[in-house]
Amino acid sequence: MKMKTTLTNGVAALALATGIGAASQAGAQELQYWVYSDFAQGDALALQQEFIAEFVKDHPGVSITITGKGDDDLTAGQVAGAASGTLPDIFMNATSVGAQLVSVGALANIHDQWMAMPQEYRDQFDADAIATCQPKPDEMYCIPYTGFGSLLFRNLTVLEKAGIDTSKAPATWDEWFAQMQTIKEAGFYAMPDESLVFNSIAAIYAMNGNPAEWGIDWDTKTTRITPEAMAATLQKFIDIKPLDSGTSRNDQATKDLFITNQLAYHETGPWVDPTYRQAAAESGLKYDFVLVPGLTEGSHGGIKSYEIIGVAPGPNQEIAFQFAAYVAEKNQMLRWAKLLSRYNANAAAMADPEVASLPLISVSVEAVKDAFDTQPPYFVQPVPSCYTSTVIDFASAAADGEMSAEEGAAEMIAELNACLQG
Amino acid sequence: MTDIAATPRTGIEVWSILRWVLAILATIIAVLPIWWMINVVFSVPGEPVVINPRLWPTSLSSGLGKIHMILTETEYLRAYVVSLLYALLTIAGVTLIGSMAAFEFALFDFPGRRLLFSLVMLSLMVPVAVTIIPTYLLTAELGWLNTMQGLVVPGLSSAFGLFLLVQFMRSIPRDMIEAARLDGASHFDIYWHIVLPLSRNALITLAILTFMKTWGNYMWPLIVAPRPEMYTVGQVVGLFNSPYSHQTVDVVMTANLLAAVPPLIFFLIFQRKIVEGIAMSGSKG
Amino acid sequence: MLKRKYLPHYLMVAPFMVLFTVFFLYPIVSGFFYSFHKWNAAQPAVFIGLDNYRTILGSRDFEKAMWNLATYIVITVPLGIGTAFGLAVLVDSFTGRWAAFFRSVFFLPVVLPAFLAATIWRWIYTPNFGLLNMIFGWFGLPSVNFLNDTGVMLYSLIAVDVWVSAGFNMVIILAGLKNIPQELYEAARLDGATRFQQLIHVTIPMMSPVLFFVLTYGLISALQVFDVPWLLTGSSFSNYGGRRGALLFPVMDMMGRGFGGVKFGEAAAYGFLLTIVIMTVTAGMFTIRAWRERK
Repeated sequence: MKMKTTLTNGVAALALATGIGAASQAGAQELQYWVYSDFAQGDALALQQEFIAEFVKDHPGVSITITGKGDDDLTAGQVAGAASGTLPDIFMNATSVGAQLVSVGALANIHDQWMAMPQEYRDQFDADAIATCQPKPDEMYCIPYTGFGSLLFRNLTVLEKAGIDTSKAPATWDEWFAQMQTIKEAGFYAMPDESLVFNSIAAIYAMNGNPAEWGIDWDTKTTRITPEAMAATLQKFIDIKPLDSGTSRNDQATKDLFITNQLAYHETGPWVDPTYRQAAAESGLKYDFVLVPGLTEGSHGGIKSYEIIGVAPGPNQEIAFQFAAYVAEKNQMLRWAKLLSRYNANAAAMADPEVASLPLISVSVEAVKDAFDTQPPYFVQPVPSCYTSTVIDFASAAADGEMSAEEGAAEMIAELNACLQG
Repeated sequence: MTDIAATPRTGIEVWSILRWVLAILATIIAVLPIWWMINVVFSVPGEPVVINPRLWPTSLSSGLGKIHMILTETEYLRAYVVSLLYALLTIAGVTLIGSMAAFEFALFDFPGRRLLFSLVMLSLMVPVAVTIIPTYLLTAELGWLNTMQGLVVPGLSSAFGLFLLVQFMRSIPRDMIEAARLDGASHFDIYWHIVLPLSRNALITLAILTFMKTWGNYMWPLIVAPRPEMYTVGQVVGLFNSPYSHQTVDVVMTANLLAAVPPLIFFLIFQRKIVEGIAMSGSKG
Repeated sequence: MLKRKYLPHYLMVAPFMVLFTVFFLYPIVSGFFYSFHKWNAAQPAVFIGLDNYRTILGSRDFEKAMWNLATYIVITVPLGIGTAFGLAVLVDSFTGRWAAFFRSVFFLPVVLPAFLAATIWRWIYTPNFGLLNMIFGWFGLPSVNFLNDTGVMLYSLIAVDVWVSAGFNMVIILAGLKNIPQELYEAARLDGATRFQQLIHVTIPMMSPVLFFVLTYGLISALQVFDVPWLLTGSSFSNYGGRRGALLFPVMDMMGRGFGGVKFGEAAAYGFLLTIVIMTVTAGMFTIRAWRERK
């Protein structure tokens, strides 16, 4: 609360200082604000509009139009907008397309504006998340917004039927794998096929625990994946192949299997929770979510990723940044988190007792700590499409038994380097 | 088939049964997927969708509830209006401009006719993706982003439409035109009072194909009209189809089904015209 | 110098030709220009000669996409037309209400938006539990991973493709069938021809102009196949084409390079390479027809 008033007072004072001329000029300021489509529907939209109303009240003469877009549509629209000089002033997107957006000049460097914010404001954010927006010391392209860490959804009915103690989550991969075998013997599916989707491969790879062995080294144009870590990961896919459902973690069938008590574990993000909550209410599904185990006790696998708010360069950059900063501020992120039970990059908001007691958020806060970024480093260069597809190809080929884990890892890495250099 | 060849009489009997079996089988294959989708919409929420394809709707009220929610909470109704306007204006433009040009290309000779016509026909072979960005930049320079003319005008010179109409108009007897000319009809009169009415079927076909194409067009509206007040139905549906959306699958499918309703109604009303129109376009080729 | 008597003709053609020049010819020419440039649409284009073409021709994705396209076309076009022909013959064997009914029903999938068709088929294709695998199970067949088994994916696409497009071609062929004079069949019957022989010696030859149209149109659209494989594989600009690029097609690759990689110069060059392929195939079709007519 206090934070918000200092901020808005500051901006109001600034507006006064620059005089009436600026205010009347500001009368023409109409900002376009693009968000993810689910942020522009139902309750989420109502709250976003509340933020806008609050901001506009403190900034007379500014009007802000909110527009929802699907994931790919955000990118296509922003690229097209950059080409024709009609970019939205403030927009969200995924960190992973940041480099593309920078290369077409869609994202303004907000470093100076960011540094001009009060220290206490900047300290509200998760330091790692801020670092992903800063590829170089004097460059900053985004404010991290919402995000996720991998969650392991557990179907408690299946686990109980298989005779597994559900009071605590598996602590290590070995323990988890032993459980999966028991589950299969009891006639259930243990997991979806984790080798079919880039993010689930990354989540399992992250169990190896060293983030320096993940992502791309753009200076040498080589992958940071090591043969040992990848071979260990591929071996896991080979091991769980007989236990999995054959569906990917994103398939509708995987969710169906989970809600009909045929699938024990579903490693994914918090976006499946509404579906499972609905099933719990309608058909008595019993489930919870825990952290993805690591190789050793206390470590964890899984990935994390953030959505970002960026600002377009141009005459509206200053006010657009003020709005972006306002939306990402603790007070707003607190309300946002309470409404949607979704984790976000504002660590101060996440630490608020009322939010921290929401299970989906408290587990997410923990999940993010050990998780890998999906495609680091961000904002350097667009990751070529062959990179993701190569990872998937070799992971699923190894899982299908077409090659050994060691062969698969070696070939995959050679191919990834060829992809990055070609 | 060998049966048929060997004994014609039983062959006819076999065929008369077989054709029913085949026709019913084909009907099931054609209809079942669509029926399934309807059942997903009209089902109790939280039921599995994929692993147990239910053959009957289980909850009419829940489906209606979802439809009501989508129509009231999103800009679906406005998107219907935008899409309909986009389709109708495109149809009007394509048929008018196309028929004027086709009239000349099909029935008259003038210097440059062959060259111009082959130029247009060659363009049929260029994939849309080649031209989409330059066309977009041009439209933006004209200041037409987020406007109806930006959506409609760049699509009006349809090479396919011209091809279709020229094919048809070629079969119009020249004598009729000569006779009209001797009666003192002007060039435009001949087009308007003689050729256009004779080309009714071809124009209807073109109108129908244009409707289907504009209604399903996704990429062009997406980049040329990014503001919500200009959203087409395709874009509103796109909002629901994001992979990480909070929406559950039954709501997503409801949004999709609503997009299919106008073309389905359109088809049911005009099915004879559509079928005859399409048939004609092929048989004249 | 325009002769006055031609003026009305040019006036009538003008609206179309002006719009065509502005919104089609100019973009094509400018696309051609940009295909020799490094260009991301936002910054000024940098001339790089034939580099874009070289990059594409040397890329494995291009090879993969073209190979997929060739296999796809060789199967889907004849199969699609064959199915449509079968359906047309079937509908033609009924009369009155039933003929109209079946004709409408078989046409229904054509009306469906591509997204819907793709979603439903993704469900139908679900491994182990999907409708199709359930039916396979009744016959004791093992589960097939239709959308992830690289040996099967292309056929899964073709099935959807045929489902979506057969109704359209059926209607065209049906009209052609109705136009065949009944006397020809009667004559054939008097000569003792079986139903099958009638099909081979009367129906198909009489239908060749219609089949030519269906074939050419089908080829041109199949060469530009995009939305159904894009949706079936759950593609996005950053990752498209399905497992091992088994459903990677040229237009997908082109869109990915454009919007995903923000390389619009390269995408334009890709488009022209594809245009050359389409023109060659179409020219080939017309040459064959001209040659056959001469015979």
